[in-house]
Amino acid sequence: MGFERDQAVPDDVMRRDFMRQLFAASAAAWMTSEPKSLFGTEPQRAENQTGVLRTEPTADACILLWMGGGMAAPDTFDPKHYIPFQKGLPVKEMLSTFPAIDTAVSGLRVCKGLESIASVMDRGTLIRSAVQEDLGSILHSRHQYHWHTGYVPPQTVACPHLGSWIAKVLGRRDSVIPPFINIGQRLEGVGESEELKAFTTAGFFGSEYGPMNLPIPIDAAKAVLPPVGMTDRRFSERRKLFERLLDASESRDQVSDFQTESILRSIDNAHELLSSKDRYAFDLSLEDEGSRRRYGDTRFGQGCLLARRLVESGARFVEVTTEYVPFLHWDTHANGHDTVARMHREIDTPIAQLILDLESRGLLDRTLVIIASEFSRDALIEGVPGSNAADQATEKVEVVSERKHYGLHRHFTGGTSVALFGGGVKRGFVYGKTADQRPLIAVEDPVTIPDLHATILSAMGISPQTGFEVEGRPFYVTKDGIGKPIKELFI
Amino acid sequence: MSCDIAFSQGRSLEGIDFSHDVVPVLRRHCGECHTGDQAKGGFSMNDRGLILRSSAIKVGLSSESDLINRLTDSDPDVRMPPGDRPALSKQEIEVLTQWVDQGLPWESGFRFDQQYYVPSLSLKDPLLSYDATGDRNPIDVILQRGLSSNTELEKQALTDSLFYRRVSLDLVGLLPDASELRDFVVDQNPKKRELLIDQLLANSADYSGHWLSFFNDLFRNDYAGTGFITGGRRQISNWLYQSLMGNKPYDVMASELIAPSSDESRGFIDGIRWRGEVSAGQTVEIQFAQSVAQAFLGINLKCASCHDSFVDQWTLDDAYGLAAIYADRPLELHRCDQALGRVAKPAWLFPALGQIDPGLDRESRLEQLAKLVTAPENARFSRSIANRLWYRMMGRGIVHPLDAMQSEPWNEELLDYLAGYLIEHKYNLQELLRLIANSDAYQSLSVQVPEDSSAGYRFEGPVTRRLTAEQFLDAVWQITGQGPTQFDAPIVQLGQAELDGDSHQFSASWVWGASASNGGVPAAGESLMIRRVIEVQSDLVAAAALVSCDNSFALFLNGVQVGAGDNWSEPTGVSIHPFLRTGENELVVIVTNAGTGPNPAGLFFEACLDYSDGVRERIVSDASWAVNGNVPVISNGRLGDFTGSWEPVTLVHALPVWEQALKQKGPFILQRILTNDRFLVRSSLMKNDPLMKTLGRPMREQIVSMRPESLTTLEAMTLSNGEVFAEILSLGARKLALQYSGATKKLVVDLYQSAYARAPNSAELQVAISYVGELAEEEKIVDLLWSIFMSPDFLLVR
Repeated sequence: MGFERDQAVPDDVMRRDFMRQLFAASAAAWMTSEPKSLFGTEPQRAENQTGVLRTEPTADACILLWMGGGMAAPDTFDPKHYIPFQKGLPVKEMLSTFPAIDTAVSGLRVCKGLESIASVMDRGTLIRSAVQEDLGSILHSRHQYHWHTGYVPPQTVACPHLGSWIAKVLGRRDSVIPPFINIGQRLEGVGESEELKAFTTAGFFGSEYGPMNLPIPIDAAKAVLPPVGMTDRRFSERRKLFERLLDASESRDQVSDFQTESILRSIDNAHELLSSKDRYAFDLSLEDEGSRRRYGDTRFGQGCLLARRLVESGARFVEVTTEYVPFLHWDTHANGHDTVARMHREIDTPIAQLILDLESRGLLDRTLVIIASEFSRDALIEGVPGSNAADQATEKVEVVSERKHYGLHRHFTGGTSVALFGGGVKRGFVYGKTADQRPLIAVEDPVTIPDLHATILSAMGISPQTGFEVEGRPFYVTKDGIGKPIKELFI
Repeated sequence: MSCDIAFSQGRSLEGIDFSHDVVPVLRRHCGECHTGDQAKGGFSMNDRGLILRSSAIKVGLSSESDLINRLTDSDPDVRMPPGDRPALSKQEIEVLTQWVDQGLPWESGFRFDQQYYVPSLSLKDPLLSYDATGDRNPIDVILQRGLSSNTELEKQALTDSLFYRRVSLDLVGLLPDASELRDFVVDQNPKKRELLIDQLLANSADYSGHWLSFFNDLFRNDYAGTGFITGGRRQISNWLYQSLMGNKPYDVMASELIAPSSDESRGFIDGIRWRGEVSAGQTVEIQFAQSVAQAFLGINLKCASCHDSFVDQWTLDDAYGLAAIYADRPLELHRCDQALGRVAKPAWLFPALGQIDPGLDRESRLEQLAKLVTAPENARFSRSIANRLWYRMMGRGIVHPLDAMQSEPWNEELLDYLAGYLIEHKYNLQELLRLIANSDAYQSLSVQVPEDSSAGYRFEGPVTRRLTAEQFLDAVWQITGQGPTQFDAPIVQLGQAELDGDSHQFSASWVWGASASNGGVPAAGESLMIRRVIEVQSDLVAAAALVSCDNSFALFLNGVQVGAGDNWSEPTGVSIHPFLRTGENELVVIVTNAGTGPNPAGLFFEACLDYSDGVRERIVSDASWAVNGNVPVISNGRLGDFTGSWEPVTLVHALPVWEQALKQKGPFILQRILTNDRFLVRSSLMKNDPLMKTLGRPMREQIVSMRPESLTTLEAMTLSNGEVFAEILSLGARKLALQYSGATKKLVVDLYQSAYARAPNSAELQVAISYVGELAEEEKIVDLLWSIFMSPDFLLVR
């Protein structure tokens, strides 16, 4: 079915490919706006081609499972005192709306509804003390911007997404799969979409460093197939026509300039992916029925499956989101308990399945899987204690009198859970702690966004002080280079 | 270079930040005696090597480093800083201690004695020396001096057609019209290039549609984007568009942006007001300082917004002073988000030219600033815009990058001449563009920027550039005849008004065959062919037809179906311009009555043909049309051979409901097509979309003065299999297939003319024709279009 690469490559095409490689470096050097590495490219650093600061990696690939909208830690990974729904329950007494269950790690408990994830907690580390800045007002996309770029918007330059930093510094693995793939988030037609686009970008690195957006996992194959209605055969015929016209043109015989070569190289790269076997990784229909079913018939579940296939085929950084849509999914401004129960069902099996599949394929040790969200939630407190952020709960009540009042409806930045699996982190380990009584703030080992990023980046072999010169100013992968990896998390 | 090894190894994960932590401490306490040309006690800290070569420091060992120990020495003769100077705080000592312990990390290239090039505030010798240059363009005179005697600018080598393509893309952002290009090439007028430049600049709609993108980037204006969601941002779109349409002087534009007299241009200084807290370096006041400095003066205050800049002369006080002009509240200085306990005083960057009166109210301060910025004495303003325009035309700034106007230009004389020229011409941007476009320098063969562009640039010709996202899309829309029919920008497009009014009066009659004569009622299912031959002159600029039929019709031009409709309550508009050829055209409408028994039937046809001289010709259905009952076979959208005889049509009495639908919707439909025919809906007027974003149109949250120059892999993928682009190609090919109806050679030649401004050579012609084939199927045309649009000859402006 798939189309084979044309083996009979004419000599002139070979020659041109050579020229293209020759010109690849110079084209990049020429780019006027190309950020320069802060640490130069002096000969002494020749072993380090990108000129950035590298550490010894413990992971080659990274999957970020993004719980967009604010995943309530007390209702997921950090259960507190549970009181079941009852009319007349004072909101200030509501901490967790799910009871706790045991996990594969003795002494570690998570919320009921996450049974499958509980069974794989012995493969990973749970951070319970992640904290975010309050920012004075909660706009999800703004906190997501902060989380994904490490910088609070607005910024004077377009900040790259974490995935773009990784793509820029590490590049592709030995595969033609683009280094930064973003699954599940629609960027058109959803609320705050402009704000989402603002951080779903390679920023000053330029679009070469992603993201490749695949909002609908089951349609992902389309992104690497010929256009709709075009057969593989015609797709390759079209490419040949392109080459033949190029060869026939007179300008082709004149100087082989590097702008031309750079254009042709990018077209080559694109076609390399569109005609390589790696593109089948994007096609979920090739996965057997049982396997697809195990991941669940949801966009997130299918996204996890897609992430697994892509990492298997050499992807570098993949984000899969439950999708942020204002007031939907994890964004519970009312009716929180019932919504979160649904979210449990949506994420529980696919995440556990992903961990197990990666493990059984021998990939988990070198793949860092992260579950994270822009902040947590609380029944009472908006932001952190003392915050002046406006309360955005849609049902402002002091006593639960209806089902829709039952849940955690405020945005809470004082203590959040982040789960890490594989990629060199400890197994069955818990780091940090939040208070057992409100306010449920991190009371041990708070982990800031720069430190969390530093931890992720260090696992990937990138120093948190890696930086580039942008408009004459140093710009670091963690804000001002201050991020410090949490060494205790690593094996 | 051993120090670099030490540096790289000495940088630990917990490292302190040299620029933010160490430099300020050293500057404050040690700078006066040990940096710049001062080296008291023979100790200079100007660069890392000097410090290492002294004995003041043992790398990695603060306890054994003289520099550290002397900070706390009890002996006042040994202690540093000496005498009555304040001692370092505990925290500051800790910073330096860590700095030594961590291997003395250093910012690459940083020196304390950095020599900044400081451009003079006034222009050099404005205009004087070039008055007597005769016919030679002053640009060429100046450039010639910089060239070695045996290098001539190769003006001759740039063909007329390549010149046309380049100048058209540069001035109006569009490809040349193929027939105008042909006329231009054969034109013997020695001044034809000059005339073409004038003609392009005079087309204000095209000019504005192009330069809108440049100014939207520069003033970070867009039709959608972050900030709008919370009402924290305002557009300046209509103000900007009208300014360009009227070629408003640039100093007036700048004044209206800095000190807006109406809300239309307020958006620029108000910036983006984010919900919640923002860092002190990104408040709206600081955004104001950054935007004004960057857009108008080519000064980057982003560093100085947080701390005194390490790379140029600007300080925190400068940034806050500028911000305070805009502020309507006391603005406390913050250094890297730490309050300094001082309130900023309104002041601007070049007090030598005058200063802001802090006692004035905000509006007056802004007016004062606008005057200072745009004063002819302020060469930073005129140089900055002259440099930007030069960059757009020539591919590389005279100062480069553009927002680093403190850097040394590669030709100071040239930059100042251009800036002076602008002032002389009252900031008429078109005059400067005209001057540049008319120079031999512009009209010479394009070159590559030397790969190592940092090592002394020398002008050898305009730099080959890539089409911007907007140029690319506009060109694709031009060639395929596909594109949006309505734009997003909230602007009032001129030219729309003149089409109004006139198109309201319809003069066509309702017609049918003989069955409707003498009060007869046509039978259900009756099908007829109604025909008329029309004569078209050569300079048609727009043509639209409005068709209504009870019950259905198919419209054919020269045997090819170009439109159809089956609902008289929704009259159909057809853009017939692409299908009309100069000379005779045969117009045929096949009409069919529906229903189960005899019922009223009628056809209404009214077309407007607009010519470049403003004449509008109307083609209307009336008694002169002919009807034929023998409807020929239609296959693949083409009309078969006619048989039978032609009779005059019968005029039908219109049903009131037919007329009502026409009156309500008809004028708007016609007008929209005519407007779109004449004014391509430009991509610059559309919201940013994934395709344009991929092609490098920025998000415009920040000022952007330079777009990416290379095509990336993801872009190539989007163009190779993206749905939006594929759809444009497919619809375009369908149209072309009908339009050329098998004339493959002509199709290939025309496509080459339009896309590359040249005819295909025989090899290209042969490859293309043999691929497309005589049948010229839609799919084959899609593939040809794709191959053309992806080729470097198309993607580059040479």
